[in-house]
Amino acid sequence: MKVIVRNTGYFFREIKTIVKLDLLSNIFSIISLSFIFFLLSLIFSGGNIVEHMITAIEDEAQISVYYSDDIDVTIIGSQIKEISGIRDILYIDETEAKAEMTEIMGEESRIFELFDHNPFDPYIKVKIELDQVDTIVEEVSSISGVELVRDNKEILDKLKDISSLISLLGLLIVIAVSVATLIITSHIIRQGIYLNKEQINTLRLLGAPEYFIRLPFILEGLLMTILSGLMSNIMLFVVLKYIYSQTMSFLPFITLPKFNGIMTLIILITLGLSFALGLIGSLFGLKSTNK
Amino acid sequence: MIIANKLYLKYPDGTLGLKDVNLVIPSGEVVYITGPSGSGKTSFLKLLMGMESPSDGYLTVLGKDMNNINNRELRRLRRSIGPIFQDFKLLDGRTVYENVIIGMRFLDFSKSEIQNLALATIKRVGLDHKINSIVDNLSYGERQRVAIARAVARRPLLIIADEPTGNLDKDNSLNILDLLKSFKDNNTTVIITTHATHLIEDEQDCIKINVLNGKMSTEEVSYESNC
Ligand SMILES: Nc1ncnc2c1ncn2[C@@H]1O[C@H](COP(=O)(O)OP(=O)(O)OP(=O)(O)O)[C@@H](O)[C@H]1O
Ligand SMILES: [Mg+2]
Repeated sequence: MKVIVRNTGYFFREIKTIVKLDLLSNIFSIISLSFIFFLLSLIFSGGNIVEHMITAIEDEAQISVYYSDDIDVTIIGSQIKEISGIRDILYIDETEAKAEMTEIMGEESRIFELFDHNPFDPYIKVKIELDQVDTIVEEVSSISGVELVRDNKEILDKLKDISSLISLLGLLIVIAVSVATLIITSHIIRQGIYLNKEQINTLRLLGAPEYFIRLPFILEGLLMTILSGLMSNIMLFVVLKYIYSQTMSFLPFITLPKFNGIMTLIILITLGLSFALGLIGSLFGLKSTNK
Repeated sequence: MIIANKLYLKYPDGTLGLKDVNLVIPSGEVVYITGPSGSGKTSFLKLLMGMESPSDGYLTVLGKDMNNINNRELRRLRRSIGPIFQDFKLLDGRTVYENVIIGMRFLDFSKSEIQNLALATIKRVGLDHKINSIVDNLSYGERQRVAIARAVARRPLLIIADEPTGNLDKDNSLNILDLLKSFKDNNTTVIITTHATHLIEDEQDCIKINVLNGKMSTEEVSYESNC
């Protein structure tokens, strides 16, 4: 330990020498690793965003209940309230229904001016517990006077499909990234050792401990992957920033997770991963060149 | 102290590098190993450094049985040896100073001890004006002095120089031999191989061992008066 501390400066100068000996390979490795980590962080942010959307929609889980005009809406309402899993109900009349739609459609809502009477029907907005949506829809439908029950289960199911697809994809990409990183790192370490084999041999003849000989190479691998991790963070920052600003101006009803939160999460993930993979990759590289 | 008894070294291709070596080298001596090219001088030094293992017979170096030495002990043994290789094995691209202290970085010296030992040794080999030069740019003789400084600055118990006079003229050879001999003290043995027997004809107070066809011993040559 004392030897390591006393020689810190030496080890870092050694890294410089090792890197300089094969500068291009090192630069190319860092670039490829950066893109690999960037891919990884993209998939992580994608997954994170979809997850966030799902929770947002689940919190808003609601069904719309349409009824025939010849019946007292409060009777239907009180019957709905008895069903378990109902959180809240709200009566929406024609004007409110039109106002809601006008807001969603924005500019396009001018089309309503073509109608000489309000085309919207009144309905009951029912907030529910999402996991009971199937039984609730069934029970509400059977209430007399109820004509149509609409739920947003379809969107939710789609999102959940996307989410599990991203999870699967994410898993595959994590595996691919790990393998690629390990291969690249161990290869560059092996190359460094090969180019330095005379010096390594000399150090061995002088009785240098193995850790003293190996440390610069391990540090080189670590430095390379961590640097790549940081580069990928910068790329992600730029791309995500763009996606966020685009989404906010063109798709304002989509709720995105907090930008800083997602960025911090992904910086932590990539740095942790690049550290671990760099270490393992370097050790692999060293192991495979042991005489 | 080095003891060899019926020591053999057989290379993988079947060549006998050394055969039936019997000798005792006490510590604190200057030892010349002479013999024609291919006789086995370097082979013997390789055994001393654990670069090869005895094929048969017995060898101890500084109390270590070279037949049964593990990696850890071998590293420790090498830390007590100051080797000067025929091709010097300097670290290219580094300064004279860096090359001299590399052998001390992992020894039990403090930072200031390392610095003082290195500076004193570099001065002693006459390279203080070149201390920050990159070794690649030095002359042959200067590079050799760097190699010597690296070997001795770490205060080894055994200094080994393989053919240090190989590429030098007579005057420079004598100077280098004098320099190497000067590092001998009560604890430190200096072993020098050379085929230039004429250079050491007049040498006194040393052990001369002649190798012929891999055979060497301290029995017939004495470390007596004629040496
Ligand atoms: N690695 C090896 N494999 C096979 N044979 C070897 C090997 N190294 C040396 N030899 C042989 O062993 C014998 C002794 O070689 P060694 O290098 O010890 O001679 P030397 O006395 O140092 O010669 P020189 O004065 O030329 O340096 C020679 O015949 C040589 O060819
Ligand atoms: Mg030789």
